[in-house]
Amino acid sequence: MIAKYAGIAPKGDLILLQKLGEIFREKSFLHINSTRAGGGVAEILQRMIPILRDLGIDARWEIIEGDERFFDITKKIHNALQGNFESITEEMWQYHYEVNKRNAKKLNLEADAVLIHDPQPAPLIEFKVQDYSESDIAPWLWRCHIDVSNPVQEVCDYLRRYCEKYDAAIFSVSKFARAMSIDEFIIPPSIDPLSEKNRDLTEDEIRETLEKYKIPADRPIMLQVSRFDRFKDPIGVIKAYRIVKKYNDCILVLAGSPASDDPEGEIVLNEVREYASNDPDVHILLLPPFSDRDINALQRSATVVLQKSLKEGFGLTVSEAMWKGKPVIGGATGGIPLQIVHGFTGFLVHTSEGAAFRARQFLNNPEMVKKMGERGKEYIRNNFLITRQIRDYLSVWYAIKNNEKSVLEL
Amino acid sequence: MNDIKNRAKPFEFMQCISILKSTAKRAKNLHELRDLIATVSEESIFHHTCQYFLKGRIREYTNDFAHWVGESLEESALAEQLSSIDPYEFKNISELRTALLTVIDNYLENFPEPREALAGEEFYFNETITIVFPARIRARNLAEFLIAIRYIDGASIYYHFHEARTRLGGGIDDFSKWFDEVLGEQDLAKRLWAIDPFMHSIEGIREHIVEIVNEKVKKDMEITGVEE
Repeated sequence: MIAKYAGIAPKGDLILLQKLGEIFREKSFLHINSTRAGGGVAEILQRMIPILRDLGIDARWEIIEGDERFFDITKKIHNALQGNFESITEEMWQYHYEVNKRNAKKLNLEADAVLIHDPQPAPLIEFKVQDYSESDIAPWLWRCHIDVSNPVQEVCDYLRRYCEKYDAAIFSVSKFARAMSIDEFIIPPSIDPLSEKNRDLTEDEIRETLEKYKIPADRPIMLQVSRFDRFKDPIGVIKAYRIVKKYNDCILVLAGSPASDDPEGEIVLNEVREYASNDPDVHILLLPPFSDRDINALQRSATVVLQKSLKEGFGLTVSEAMWKGKPVIGGATGGIPLQIVHGFTGFLVHTSEGAAFRARQFLNNPEMVKKMGERGKEYIRNNFLITRQIRDYLSVWYAIKNNEKSVLEL
Repeated sequence: MNDIKNRAKPFEFMQCISILKSTAKRAKNLHELRDLIATVSEESIFHHTCQYFLKGRIREYTNDFAHWVGESLEESALAEQLSSIDPYEFKNISELRTALLTVIDNYLENFPEPREALAGEEFYFNETITIVFPARIRARNLAEFLIAIRYIDGASIYYHFHEARTRLGGGIDDFSKWFDEVLGEQDLAKRLWAIDPFMHSIEGIREHIVEIVNEKVKKDMEITGVEE
């Protein structure tokens, strides 16, 4: 499996992965989250676990189970950590704990390293198998995938009771890290270049998608792939498109998945449809789940890719498009500035007018698009592939085992 | 003589990665930046200055502090002054820290009320854990070195060309040292040593090294004089 990444991922990352695989051969590495399918965490774990196993590590992936009440509570915790006002009562926190306690009885929590993803299973730390390994440190790490840069403080403080019992926490972006009594590492998420969403496609496969969604291929395509969420600013994208359209004939595609777990999704979708007001060149696509290949094809067929978010956790669609050689126009928020080096691999914008101006630059300057696209792809290769993320997880494990000396030689 | 030496000590390419660790300290204005530069760990100062070059391309600034001061605080004059500090010029991080503080203090004397960064654009102090490992490439002579340097990861060039300056001191890099001490190629070492790490991206440095070594290898292969 890891051999498939040769010639794609940086050679050094693969060498280090092999070395770390030798160090942790047959050691158990347990990941726990709250869903097997849907969402970025499950997507990355589906790809990561087989690679870890291929490296010789006994990687396991468990999920915690809960009822509707539990997930209502954890959704509220999630929203509060992202800055929306939510009140979590003591009773709700107690239920959150009780469900984790029930899961702890069912799950085998014995492992040489344990990585707990997000707040839902965070209380599992209370059921850590003490002294699992007498001769070695068996670290428990809490991995936070969400934007906690501006949380509701009481909720953050309550959760901290659990977090600070871990050996270390991992955040995606520096500004998400909180002042805690444990070590906090920064590991950005990643994309898998070999997944259905990112693998190379044939011209026929790309054409098939365009035909399926009745998107004409006779004019340049402006594209944004994202949920129908106000923070993704789909209305702002249409505004930008309308400015561009005065100068360059083009098509706008807004593609997103139905947001069954997001009651606001449908409202926003209707707002977007209304705002587009039957413009035949605006294509609003509601893609069914598992539309990875179609997303891949749309990204590959676009001339201008936007991710004009107003607030963003990380925004991996930016890396996905850049991996396909497309420079991206992105909102200067969340993890987007980490992926777009302004003026070098794409452009960061703050307004619809800014997005329109940069889109016109792309439409009128194919040489610039090509050059930025090539640089962008290299940038993603070096920084945002799954091999780098696995390398970082294993390196954190190794660093903790070695008392976190500032320089470690393998 | 050189052949014997070459066999004795080939150049073993190494490379490094850095795992980012948050200090959870952040500055939202110049006064806070100054106070935190004075107190953060040496690893953090090292990361925001010396490791800036690991980012892989030349930017308008030469360290994270200058970048933030220029981009987020829009204090261009101070950004220029911070950018002109060469981290490899100092014997240790403590001296580098003093130099950064002196520049900021002088600026604050003249402009005591600089602007605040917007919410979310604060300066976040990090430090790193560096993991060094063999790149599994070895060069026994200049010709092999020339092939290797073309294809080695950029992180390996950073380790031998930039990081070595801190490790070895005196502005020396691993490549020049090997040319000088093992191959006895003092002129080549001097030419390599003269490449200014400030003025090039890692890829630019790779190109320069290739150019210099290629020229030398070609020259060494040429048959001079009249054949009988």
